[in-house]
Amino acid sequence: MDRRSFLQAGGGLGSVAFAHLLAREPLLGDGVIRHHAPTAQRVVQLFMSGAASQCDLYDYKPLLIERNGEDWNPGEEVELFQSAPGKVMRSPWQWTQNGECGKWMSSLVPRTAECVDDIAFIHSMTSRSNVHGPATFLESTGFLLPGFPSMGAWISHALGSENDDLPTYVCLPDLRGLPPGGPKNWSAGFLPAEHQATVIQPSAKDPIANLFPPDAAGVSAERDEADRELVNALNQRHRETRGGDSRLAARMRAYELAARMQLAAPEVFDLSDEPRSTREAYGLDDPVTADFGRRCLIARRLLERGVRFVQVWSGADNGFPRRNWDSHENIERDHGDMGRSMDGPAAALLQDLKRRGLLEETIVHWTTEFGRMPCGQGELGRDHNPFGFTNWLAGGGIKGGVTYGATDEWSWKAVDKPTDNYDVHATMLHALGIDHTRLTHRTDGIDRRLTDVHGHVLHELLA
Amino acid sequence: MFSLLATLAIAAPQDAEEIFRQSVAPLLEERCLPCHDGEQAKGGISLTAALPEDLITPGDPAESLLIEVLAGPDPEMPKDGEPLSEDELATLRAWVEAGGAWIDGEVGSRGWWSLQPLNEASAPEPESTWRSWVRDPIDTFILAGLRARGLEPSPEADRRTLLRRLHFDLVGLPPTPEELEAFLSNDSPDAYEREVDRLLASARYGERWARHWLDVVHYADTHGYDKDKTRPNAWPYRDWVIRALNEDKPYADFVAEQLAGDVLYEDDPGAVVATGMLAAGPWDYVGHVELREGTVDKKKTRNLDRDDVVTNVFSSFQSLTVHCARCHDHKFDPITQAEYYDLQSVFAGIERAEREYDADPAIGALRAALVGERDALQGSIREAKELLDREVEQDTRPSSLELLSARAEAQASITQPDRTGSMGYHTEMSYTADSPKWVQVDLGASNEIEEVILYPCDEVFGGHPGPGFGLPAQIEVQLASTPEGEWSTAGTWRGADAGIRHGDRPIHFPLESGASARYVRVHVPVLWERTEDYCFALAELEVISSGENIARGAAVEAKDSIEAGGRWGKELLVDGARPWSPEMARLEELEGDWRALRAELEPEPARAAREHDSERLTVVSAELSALPPSSKVYAAATSFQREGSFAPPPGGAPRAVHRLERGEVTQPLEASAPGAVKALPHAPASFDLPAESDESARRVALAEWIAHPENPLTWRSIVNRVWQYHFGRGLVDSPNDFGRMGVRPSHPELLDHLALRFRDGGGSFKELHRALVLSATYRQSSAHRAEAAAIDDGNRLLWRANRRRLEAEALRDSTLSVSGDLNLEMGGPGFQLFGFEDDHSPRYLYAEADLEDTQTHRRSVYRFVVRSVPDPWMTSFDCADPSHCTPVRSETTTPLQALALMNDRFMLRQAERFAARVEREAPRDPVSLAARLAWQREPEPAELLLLREHEEEHGLAAVCRVLLNSNEFLYVD
Repeated sequence: MDRRSFLQAGGGLGSVAFAHLLAREPLLGDGVIRHHAPTAQRVVQLFMSGAASQCDLYDYKPLLIERNGEDWNPGEEVELFQSAPGKVMRSPWQWTQNGECGKWMSSLVPRTAECVDDIAFIHSMTSRSNVHGPATFLESTGFLLPGFPSMGAWISHALGSENDDLPTYVCLPDLRGLPPGGPKNWSAGFLPAEHQATVIQPSAKDPIANLFPPDAAGVSAERDEADRELVNALNQRHRETRGGDSRLAARMRAYELAARMQLAAPEVFDLSDEPRSTREAYGLDDPVTADFGRRCLIARRLLERGVRFVQVWSGADNGFPRRNWDSHENIERDHGDMGRSMDGPAAALLQDLKRRGLLEETIVHWTTEFGRMPCGQGELGRDHNPFGFTNWLAGGGIKGGVTYGATDEWSWKAVDKPTDNYDVHATMLHALGIDHTRLTHRTDGIDRRLTDVHGHVLHELLA
Repeated sequence: MFSLLATLAIAAPQDAEEIFRQSVAPLLEERCLPCHDGEQAKGGISLTAALPEDLITPGDPAESLLIEVLAGPDPEMPKDGEPLSEDELATLRAWVEAGGAWIDGEVGSRGWWSLQPLNEASAPEPESTWRSWVRDPIDTFILAGLRARGLEPSPEADRRTLLRRLHFDLVGLPPTPEELEAFLSNDSPDAYEREVDRLLASARYGERWARHWLDVVHYADTHGYDKDKTRPNAWPYRDWVIRALNEDKPYADFVAEQLAGDVLYEDDPGAVVATGMLAAGPWDYVGHVELREGTVDKKKTRNLDRDDVVTNVFSSFQSLTVHCARCHDHKFDPITQAEYYDLQSVFAGIERAEREYDADPAIGALRAALVGERDALQGSIREAKELLDREVEQDTRPSSLELLSARAEAQASITQPDRTGSMGYHTEMSYTADSPKWVQVDLGASNEIEEVILYPCDEVFGGHPGPGFGLPAQIEVQLASTPEGEWSTAGTWRGADAGIRHGDRPIHFPLESGASARYVRVHVPVLWERTEDYCFALAELEVISSGENIARGAAVEAKDSIEAGGRWGKELLVDGARPWSPEMARLEELEGDWRALRAELEPEPARAAREHDSERLTVVSAELSALPPSSKVYAAATSFQREGSFAPPPGGAPRAVHRLERGEVTQPLEASAPGAVKALPHAPASFDLPAESDESARRVALAEWIAHPENPLTWRSIVNRVWQYHFGRGLVDSPNDFGRMGVRPSHPELLDHLALRFRDGGGSFKELHRALVLSATYRQSSAHRAEAAAIDDGNRLLWRANRRRLEAEALRDSTLSVSGDLNLEMGGPGFQLFGFEDDHSPRYLYAEADLEDTQTHRRSVYRFVVRSVPDPWMTSFDCADPSHCTPVRSETTTPLQALALMNDRFMLRQAERFAARVEREAPRDPVSLAARLAWQREPEPAELLLLREHEEEHGLAAVCRVLLNSNEFLYVD
């Protein structure tokens, strides 16, 4: 056998396990990808790390303005995370009505306010934990403990990929660092590792780890290709004497796919072909919005190339100085920064998806781990509030211009149609054509679900 | 089994009662009983007593409800699980047709297989053709399974393949070319056996197999959760596992020590370390340390923490899913919710914390004796003082009475300080004492300084009565002339040395004449303990120059500061407001006289005795501090250093545990008492411990219950794990679940045979390994055989060996081994493959690892394992996630793996090191040596040709990179 034929032998692979590698082999088997007809194909999740305040963004309560500065007595004992309850504290922002639906929004989110007719607000969210780590896990995985598959992993597991050269599930963390619990929020847990998110850090020198050999290694592109060609040839030879083992071919295919990702991924990060108006809408040239804006724009580029689930984080861990939404000390200063960095890009993403016709089958999910108290902490801050907070959904078969549930007159406790992460997850899976009670994986003796043993689809939100 | 049932069913005519007993009852038991059992049966249909009404129409399957719900393309039943097979349905139809005979109580009478006592079945006699194939009773069981399906075992693998398999299995490293050469050229009939013994005797064996056990008990070196702090002293447990395996510790001891070694083997310091198993899992730092006591979230934190311990113990040692009973009775296995909380209460007296121990028992004994003597001396000194107090009270001399009354008057003259105004400077709170802080003044220009005076605060808070609030045990005054200049220490005050409470007296730091500075800093290395946290505070700082205080109004800077509404603030350190007054000075003088009076009244023998005790105390304390520091291990602990609100249970008594309605901590039901699971009858499930017994009795009782020779799960569980790591799959394919939701054993008799053999042979792991790897079953080739795959595609019956991909650790270790970099240093703290910053929330930065550090070239079992931010390279190769117990690793194949192996800087660096090694060792033919090292065989001429061409064009490092990416390097036949 001469060199040429040897190398060529390695090239002629069948497509054994190709689908598996792309995570395209759906869990439900034999083309039965879904339990019912879907209204959505993919999801982008905007996760506000540190607990964004419902009563400074979306949940309008005139009583807070009226009683501002008075002792707060909601009529029952208040147990807070860090502090004793302070005085009633109005939002430092002004409130106006917006859209045809007349939704009250604060002046911290003027751009989102332009989109209210496409959004379904859920004001009666509750969390089972008052602690960032567990509550963040609860929102991202459905469990308070670390180690469970994230929603993106479950969806990758159920629906597989829509593309041939990019990952199925992508996570875009904040430039300033990772949220509480870090990669546990986008891990595959006990599902196969192929369902974990691929982390993309657009501002890093290498946005995807190990996509190319590091410069310091001095591997030329020509040598890189020759190395891969030889690996392929040797593996082909190895495989020929070892029949009946699809893994050996699958590993060869993995090298091909990696090479394809090397071509496709940099193209996603290259924003030079985006028009000026788009750059402006996402706030790429404004230092306040540049990071979140860039990641929202890359999220759109990923979604239009068939990535199934994109998670975009606003905010890092709970360190000092504040670099997320955890504004215990000063809501005006710290929420001011976070709100301004989030509002424009989030609205731009929504409007951009809509303009391109992608919003019809893309769910946009805005979430956070819990809310903040209507009373002050110290003079200017707000403590945690797991009893009532806000999520919003848009697109992918979700009704626009609606509001679901309500907190009490203080924006403290959910009183009308209290709901939680399980219901929201169940609703999103439903829109994707999946019955949340039937998407299971057996581990340690239990058939685990994203929704644990809970969850009801919020049919009122579905168009 | 089901084909057997079908045969029975089809072999009509048959007695219906016989069909029922032999085929139907076992079938209903397995497929229906999980839900239709007893009083809580779903739909009110229970199969354990009389035949439920209307379930069947005897003689007419088509009209029977049972068949209706089970048959068809989308059957209604079973709700959870696969539909019944055609064979199974045929059995039921035949039974109904034959009249549907029923015996009350027959369904459910067998009990679940894993809970039955171990049963030695004699190995089936092999057919004569196969008799010579059998090397061990194991083989007869496997052979019987194969022959029943018309299968034959595969021929023995070639010697190179066997050696390679043996090495990866037993020690996790490839054989070296020399080892391969020696083995291939050894013609003696026991060459293989000798190699097995050699590998089992190697220390590398314990390193390899400890990693498996650490997967099972979800060991890591950080807490996990938010604020994933490090556990710098978790590693002694990891080393204990390695040592226990290398020493072949009997399994019963291996189990008991991990549950209660600290109690059972008080003289053996290693046994304390073994309880690191109970502490191995994740721990919620925020919930335990930062959440306030008495909150609902605190209760949740503790409940989930004990849940992890109970889950770990029962999954690891019993392969039982007791944790499914946290919110309700177990839905499938006979475990009640009450039993689950009884298990929680076994661990209600311990927390996960650092525990001190002496690795050297002699030093441990000495330390215990000295601590005893110190406590006794302190007691007698206290007694002497109290006796003298009474003497003073009885002294009626006028001068004495006058002194006492003046002292009382002076005490009364000191009015309650005004605590609403300026208090002074106060740091932010820390959760540890050991976090140095400072505050400093800028005098504007360099000044000559005679003295620095500090005034303590007077504040009532959290049980602190007033004077001396915030005053640490040690204060250093430092001077500098420029802001970034070098600080020199001008004086150190140690309040603790005086052995008295300092109160609010000023602290004077007289400086040497001529001292001058512009900046004066107060540095506090160890903070003052407030209630559950740490800080320091000062009312006033004065800098005396030419008799004047020149610090008043100076600019103040601090590491951090609490600025609270005019009471506390940096500026208040130099605002002139301080609680100290002339009345206080007067009192201080009288206190001096009073102490003199006491000295006068103390009788000579008492004074001599007290002084003797004090001197002896000094000696004892010095001896204690001269002992080598005790070691620390993160383990089960009952007493430990408080951190924030994390403290030992009050009074050292176990916390109360209640059964919880739906698992909600806000809805406690009846109290629980330590106990285990009644479904296992080998020993009483209720421990019946006397109320006054301490927590350790609880763990000892559970240790005895689990390590019991008649506990069938203990022995079945472990031999199944060992089998799995040798053969790729367990005889029970769900190694952590031997319950109804798990998988039934493929070879139940073999499982019991191994369990009994292991137990009766003293629980020796090495004997078990030996038996397995010497068997003919193990030695089979892994080659594919289409005719066998057609019958048993998944190789459940073991007609060949399973080819396996190296796990993440073995892959990394093998890479280091062939490159020549592998560092075989054993034990000690884990090497860190990341840069680390503890900035409120710790950060683990893998890109910053120093790959040239030879510590990072140690075996991967010594890697410092981070829970929250797992090593991306290891994770891409399916490394265990220590959030949960990992009884089986998944084996995925992804593009990210290809990228990790091609482009990760570790792999590229290793390829270079590999190239340098072969260049050095075989300068004439480095390519051949590289192939021999990577593949453990001679390269074929065609391969060599290609590799050499590649070397000429792209260099030796390119060849090495290719070899490290080849399937043959990663897969073991």
